[in-house]
Amino acid sequence: MKSIICLLILPVLFLFSNVQAQDPITMPLRFDHYYTYDQIVTALKLLNKTYPELTNLEIVGKSDEGRDIYLITINNKATGAPSDKPGVYVDGNIHGNEIQASEVCLYLASRLLENFGKNDKLTEVINKNAWYILPCVNVDGRVHFFSDPNDPSSGRSFRIPMDDDKDGLVDEDYPDDLNGDGNISIMRKKDPFGNYKTDPEDPRLMIPVKPGELGEWTILGEEGIDNDDDGKINEDSEGYLDGNRNWGYSWNPPYVQSGSGLYPFQASGIKAISSWLINHPNIIMVYAFHNAGGMFLRGPSIKVAGELPAGDISVYNYLGKNNEQIAPGYRYLISWKDLYPTYGDFTDFTNNLIGTYSFVGELTPNNTETYSGKSINTPDASSNMLQADNNQERERLKFNDNVVQGELYLPWKKFNHPTYGEIEIGGWVKMSTRLPHPFMLQDMVHRISAAVIFSAEQTPDIKLEITDKKNIGKNLYEVTVRLSNSKPMPSMTYLSVKNNLYPKDILSVKGETIKVVSGGQLTNRYSNLVLFKENKPEIQFCQVPGLGKLEYRFIISGKGKVSIDFESRKAGKRSAQIDL
Amino acid sequence: MLLLISSGFSLSAFGQIQKGSGRYHNQEQIGTIMKDLQGKYSSVVKIHNIATSPGKRPVLLYEIGTEINNDTKANPAVLIVANLEGILPLGSEAALSLAETISAKNDYYKNLTWFILPSGNPDASERFFGKPLYKDSRNDLVVNDDQDDQTNEDGYNDLDGNGLITMMRVKSPEGEWLPVASDPRLMKKADPSKGEKGIYKLYSEGIDDDNDGKYNEDGPGGTNVGLNFPHLFKFFTPENGLFPGSSPEAFGIIKFVFNHPEIAMTFSFGSSNFCLVPPKGGRAGSVDFEKISIPEDIAKQFGADATRTYSMKEIMDMVKPMVPAGMDIDENMIASFLGLGAIVNPQSEDLVFYKKLSEDYAEYLKKAGLNGERFDPEDGKDGSFELWSYYHLGVPAFSMDLWSVPKPKEEKAAASGITLESIEKMSKDDFLAIGEEKFGAFMKESGAPPQFKASMVMEGIKSGQMTPKQLAGMMKQMPKPAKDENNGDPKEKAILAFFDKIPGSSCFVNWTKFNHPSLGEVEIGGFIPYTDNTPPQIMADSLIKAQIPWIIKLTEQLPVLKISETKITSKGSGIYQLEAWISNEKYIPYPTAMGKKNRQPAPVICILDGNILSFLSGKKRMVIQSVPGLKTSKITWLIQAEKGTSLTLKLNSKSAGNDSKQIKIEE
Repeated sequence: MKSIICLLILPVLFLFSNVQAQDPITMPLRFDHYYTYDQIVTALKLLNKTYPELTNLEIVGKSDEGRDIYLITINNKATGAPSDKPGVYVDGNIHGNEIQASEVCLYLASRLLENFGKNDKLTEVINKNAWYILPCVNVDGRVHFFSDPNDPSSGRSFRIPMDDDKDGLVDEDYPDDLNGDGNISIMRKKDPFGNYKTDPEDPRLMIPVKPGELGEWTILGEEGIDNDDDGKINEDSEGYLDGNRNWGYSWNPPYVQSGSGLYPFQASGIKAISSWLINHPNIIMVYAFHNAGGMFLRGPSIKVAGELPAGDISVYNYLGKNNEQIAPGYRYLISWKDLYPTYGDFTDFTNNLIGTYSFVGELTPNNTETYSGKSINTPDASSNMLQADNNQERERLKFNDNVVQGELYLPWKKFNHPTYGEIEIGGWVKMSTRLPHPFMLQDMVHRISAAVIFSAEQTPDIKLEITDKKNIGKNLYEVTVRLSNSKPMPSMTYLSVKNNLYPKDILSVKGETIKVVSGGQLTNRYSNLVLFKENKPEIQFCQVPGLGKLEYRFIISGKGKVSIDFESRKAGKRSAQIDL
Repeated sequence: MLLLISSGFSLSAFGQIQKGSGRYHNQEQIGTIMKDLQGKYSSVVKIHNIATSPGKRPVLLYEIGTEINNDTKANPAVLIVANLEGILPLGSEAALSLAETISAKNDYYKNLTWFILPSGNPDASERFFGKPLYKDSRNDLVVNDDQDDQTNEDGYNDLDGNGLITMMRVKSPEGEWLPVASDPRLMKKADPSKGEKGIYKLYSEGIDDDNDGKYNEDGPGGTNVGLNFPHLFKFFTPENGLFPGSSPEAFGIIKFVFNHPEIAMTFSFGSSNFCLVPPKGGRAGSVDFEKISIPEDIAKQFGADATRTYSMKEIMDMVKPMVPAGMDIDENMIASFLGLGAIVNPQSEDLVFYKKLSEDYAEYLKKAGLNGERFDPEDGKDGSFELWSYYHLGVPAFSMDLWSVPKPKEEKAAASGITLESIEKMSKDDFLAIGEEKFGAFMKESGAPPQFKASMVMEGIKSGQMTPKQLAGMMKQMPKPAKDENNGDPKEKAILAFFDKIPGSSCFVNWTKFNHPSLGEVEIGGFIPYTDNTPPQIMADSLIKAQIPWIIKLTEQLPVLKISETKITSKGSGIYQLEAWISNEKYIPYPTAMGKKNRQPAPVICILDGNILSFLSGKKRMVIQSVPGLKTSKITWLIQAEKGTSLTLKLNSKSAGNDSKQIKIEE
């Protein structure tokens, strides 16, 4: 999740689990466990080996710690090269701890591949689209999240050592797994002047004291000691460089927004992926998966960017509202307005500079760990982020106790802390809270993949037809051409048109023995209103709208073969021939 | 403003700008010069290749200093970049000359590392040596400028074959341009409100290569390296690049800079001149840390009032109690949380040193005989290296444009015969002798606002409320009088006046008829490219020699921190108070006020070593936040130690020097 909580205020109470990894990885892939980075690589290689005709596996670049970043392309060569099809790009786990995103990516790939030639709809999206799936962006982060002690919110960063507390040392004061259980939990200390008291409904929880009451507990934050003897605890762990603030569009330096990195594309993995994306301009749909909260977020990510063009909003609304139906518990929201503003994030980069439609998927709604089955009164994104919701916490503890037999919560245990003296350590384990328990994975990966597949189905499908050919005398022909789109997504985004990001799609008329005397868009075929293009009428620039058409009329002199070609950066190529 | 032209030349010595030979060097020659210097002083000069341009040219950077083989450096450093916009060959020459000067003298580099990048935009810079001659700041990245079906298909064409790309004028019913009456070589836009009607359309020299009705709209050229930096970068423009740092040249510079936290100052030879005119403010949207509004939803959480403003300190006090123990918050976290955005105007504390140093520079130029009136340099541009240096690195950023044509005398010698420079030097009595009427005429010429009366001023000077010097200073701040459009652009006129006086030189191609394939009869003519910013090459040496020493003088003002004094006071029972004063021996503060805000300059650390039994107050490592220029900051410890214990106090910094002191505890 693009969480402020972990950035700023609350090292909220948290976690680990004894989830067993499957070993070895075999086909078909299973989704009842989390994949380590190595297992993701194995799974991708297996998919590639099992479906060599449909897939291409490549290394996009290396991480700051030197690990390979893999991307699998799925495409049916028989229906065209990937670059000639609307590209759908899906990635996840840009934040090291937001790991279930990679399982969504792996499932999506295997779902598509296993059903090619068996299921019509799935076969169709492989025939029509080029699929680019990059399951794990922050490969270093994933490795460290699995192998190092963490809480569910720690380990987001890219692995570039930085001096967070500006004391001249880098990454010198991580949280410490004091009790050696593999988790970074919470420390609390008995303190009559503390701000918390034991929750009468569940003694594992604490609630804030009311005015006039003495306290019982002081919350000391995440498990750790003052490693660098500066009087502060856990103030400079890995990074901090947030991969989702380090992209080159509307980037701002770290004093404006924590975690931006010192300059755009400082993280080598982010730079490598950006170059790869620039080299794949056919991509029109992007999904980037995070956790948590159950949201499909669209841009813009900052208010000053202004609202998107109306034509794009209607596309987003169509996709977003459907996603809410496909994945119950998820909400379709606007990033800056409904969550909070972010500078230099991934989807502002793809929308503005690659010319795509993009969603950030915040996986796992807050209320999935339920016991009673009823939806708990959960805070929405804009409500008070300073307070944990104890109703939800009580419900989650019942879930922990009775549904997963206590795997997710560590009861408070005494510990003798070098600075604080006698304290207690306890709370949610690493693999909890923002991560669904593995038994819930299968449902999640399927529904979310279904949402992505639905979006892919809405990518442009352009038809080029010659609707009329008339000899108007004096060796002149009047030819009418129609470009139509049977899908809601236009052939290029309205934002790209507005920004002049790249040349519009091209409709051209060619022939060795002919000359286009005049040509232009036919705006009203009944009244014959044509916007004639003054120069080079044989080349017309256009954007084909969603579920709509464009018509062009050409006056051609001469005789012979005429080729009419449509070439779109994102919606492929079409061609028609006539003889005059 | 000041003129940068030496008086000692005989005019006949000025030659026409000669491309590709003589004083200005092309990229290959620059490479050779660099290699030669490195060979000559190989123990102190190293060459870094920090990027390859889209035109496959290396971007080479000198390192000059005593630590060229060390990965981490003890000495502070300065970074000099030149010609990032690729259209100022004089800038590259200045950088080369500076490198030569520095490496020849141990004094210059023994305590300071010099990083010097003579040619930051080699692709664009090479155009100065090509044929035909034209000015374009963009590197060789292939970009589809006009967003059609081809790239680089319609550049300029040297139709008259003179080796220069100038302008074409053609009579047209849609014409918007007129020749200037006083000098028909010059063109100006017709002003219908003055009864003028346009005659000509103006085009750059060339044909419509791709038959799309536009002329020269898609020649070679991609990104202007000088506008490709992250501060106030502008997207979707013809030359800035896709995103900040999208050009390998700018990205290479940015990366190099962050790998060298010892860089204490940057300096750029380009279009702005922060030595002369401090960076400008006045941009909308800068953060004022004294007046922060808190959005309603966050105000609720803070228990704050969304309808009033708070200072950063008030907000910190509000938020601190909400944060769990052991967690630290700082101003930046708050600024980030509240979405306050980036700082876009220079900090007022920094303008103090910028202003003082610009006055010193004016004095310096006067001594060098370069104090004639000149045109204002350009402002630091959005996305430029110099703005990025100041706002993102938080270091003092200086720049020089090295030359501008002098303002013609007749403009300066106004009817009143008074100039601001002359007022500056006047005594009270001298000034009063001018008389109200004559001074009133001068005020009118200077475009002083009407409510600013001569009688008022005379009275003010008489009563001693202000001195003539203060008055001149004040009047310099006033908006300049609107230029007389009827007579054409003053700078264009100045260029003509300057070159017209130099026998055998030329800056202008006279309008000559030409039969254009699609426009019919046109006239080709206009200014020779580069005559607005590049002096005849014979002037180059003296301009460089006169101005470069100022850079060395600036580096002498950079903060140098020392442990100036320590004091031990016994508090009894083996408890001692240790006080240490850290002084900044130089004028420029550590860090700049902007550096305090962005916290980018590497911290200064004091480490107290020795057999200390315990720290009762203070820690072994202490961070020094700032030391103002020529002032001290104090740190205090309360420690428990045995009498007779020896302590070592070390001061470590990346960009402001290192120091250490032995302290012995005696009763």
